Amino acid sequence: MAQFLQQLVNGLSIGSIYALMAVGYSLVYSIMNFSNFAHGSVIMLGAYFGFFALTLLGLPFFLAFFLAACATALVAVLLERLAYKPLRDRRAPFLYFIITAMGASIFIDNSVIATIGPTPKTFPQDVLPAFLRSGAIRLGTIEVGRIDIAMFVITAICLVALILFIDFTKMGKAIQATAYNMKASALMGIDTNFVIILVFAIGGALAGVAGVLYGMKYQVYPQMSSITLKSFVAAVFGGLGSLPGALLGSVLLALIETFVSGYLSTQYRDLFAFIILIAMLVVRPAGIMGKNAEDKA
Amino acid sequence: MRLRSFVIAALVVSLALVGFAGCAGGGKSGNTIKIGWLGPETGDSALWGQAELATVKMMAEDYNKAGGVDVGGKKYKLEIVAYDDKGDSTEAVNIAKRLTSQDKVSAVIGPQGSGEAIPIAPIMNDAKVPCVASTATNPKVTVTESGAVNPYMFRACFTDPYQGKVAAYFAYQKLGKRKAAIFMTIDDPYSTGLSQYFKENFVSLGGTIVSEVSYTSGEKDFRAPLTKIKASNPDVIFIPAYYNDVALAAKQARDLGIKQLLLGGDGWPSDNLIQLAGNALEGCLFINHLDFDSDTAKPMRDEYKAKYNKNAELNSYMIHDSLVMVIDAIQRAKSLKGPDIQKALETCDIQGVTGHIKIGPNHDPVGKTAWLIKIVGQDMKFQETFAAD
Repeated sequence: MAQFLQQLVNGLSIGSIYALMAVGYSLVYSIMNFSNFAHGSVIMLGAYFGFFALTLLGLPFFLAFFLAACATALVAVLLERLAYKPLRDRRAPFLYFIITAMGASIFIDNSVIATIGPTPKTFPQDVLPAFLRSGAIRLGTIEVGRIDIAMFVITAICLVALILFIDFTKMGKAIQATAYNMKASALMGIDTNFVIILVFAIGGALAGVAGVLYGMKYQVYPQMSSITLKSFVAAVFGGLGSLPGALLGSVLLALIETFVSGYLSTQYRDLFAFIILIAMLVVRPAGIMGKNAEDKA
Repeated sequence: MRLRSFVIAALVVSLALVGFAGCAGGGKSGNTIKIGWLGPETGDSALWGQAELATVKMMAEDYNKAGGVDVGGKKYKLEIVAYDDKGDSTEAVNIAKRLTSQDKVSAVIGPQGSGEAIPIAPIMNDAKVPCVASTATNPKVTVTESGAVNPYMFRACFTDPYQGKVAAYFAYQKLGKRKAAIFMTIDDPYSTGLSQYFKENFVSLGGTIVSEVSYTSGEKDFRAPLTKIKASNPDVIFIPAYYNDVALAAKQARDLGIKQLLLGGDGWPSDNLIQLAGNALEGCLFINHLDFDSDTAKPMRDEYKAKYNKNAELNSYMIHDSLVMVIDAIQRAKSLKGPDIQKALETCDIQGVTGHIKIGPNHDPVGKTAWLIKIVGQDMKFQETFAAD
């Protein structure tokens, strides 16, 4: 029983990371209808921004965290302006967007390897506030990492805020309308260009938060974006384009992974995770929560 | 439009020509000895590859400043031809082909990983160019699956069967541990090989392996397999992995309330290990190829520190000995030809910074000392040595 509960906690802590990352994929997908594979690299940049803001600039933790999110929002918007907008203006096929995204991802990853270097870095403990330092809290027979609790809370706050924003603000309605039909929204007077920028900025800011949290929990290193592929799988699993779906898919995928590696063997982990994914897609091609194209965002 | 494509084509062709010219220029050698080096300058183990290359460059400068290497009364300049294998076996094979057929080197030093050293063996044998690997500890580097010795493969380090034996002996006899858990990288021959030798020896001494769990390289979250280890309640946990994974695993193990001693092999020693692991490895032990603080290592350690302003890595010392072995063989053979150097290497008997290196019939150093190192605070403190058998 103790082992089961511990594995449950392990799974949830991975799930909350996947969720923060998956939401970024889903958000962009719902508007642009393509998977922004450069998202993982933006997450990696977020981790480096946070790391250098804390260690080189010596900024207080929350300021550094905020700056990292702003910086990645800016990077994501720049990416949209420089890489995707020219394609959009030319009405390029969606395959081109995906290839461009992959190219951008390779470009960003290798720029970091070339300039900062490939060796992993860890956040020094003394610059972190007490509730984020490594170490665990004992609850009965199980150990819950302090950072895991913080991560769970921060993920929840970000996602609730995002869902409230999309459902209850005018701008959120504009995002929904644009996701529903971009041309018609433009005709109704919505500035769809601005909506796209906004969506990339939100996705980028979430990427920054995810990157810093991931970096604190594990390490900061240039190949981080490869891990985020898992969160993309989670987004597909839950239903690309649906925010609650991304959340559910992330938690489910993480739990499946953890229990398979905890009770069977790590070698079977990805095997099982992907068999379930494929089975899922065969039965419900839109993912768990993904409905039809009309119900995005 | 046509003109534009023509211009582009012309540009591509001229760029390609420039590239080839760059390669072809290296083909001619006057009074130089060309030694090839391959290792990871980028990728996960870049830290060690960069340390190797820095050492080799430093040594070449020293040799050349002293007038070069004396071969049969004639002075030769030392030239290092270095390529980045990215820690990737395919890259290593391509580089081995390039070094032997295009660059025509006299000998090759490196690669550091068994995963790269095993696949290049047939190429070195075919080209008749000897290769002295630095830290490739898997037995198959020098002896093939069928038991035949790879004539052109040598190494400067001890092997995994020996390392596994020392680790098991130490855990069982010296520390009195009876139940061991193993945490290994499933897709890395170094890690699975070392695990197997540890397991065989530990069991034959009378111990039991209570759990054997693994992860795939590139993973960062080990909590699920570590929870499994915790439930099996071992006395000691053997982690034959590289420093970065060790640091992550140690931190996560401590977070899960795993307080047992962690024991490791020569994948651990790195200047970054303690920095990445914080205090999670306090008091833990690993097997090393040398004692970094010893008097024999001191001159090299000081020179490296003075030149690069950072500490030499384990690989610096190992590649140092690989190069010394090759140069000693060239001087004794009085020849720059592969087969002559190979013959001389077979009778290699020198004193390196990592101890006495005498090449045995399997092309491995025989009777090389293993050093047990303990992590105390920010330091790696030498505990005791183990001679062969």
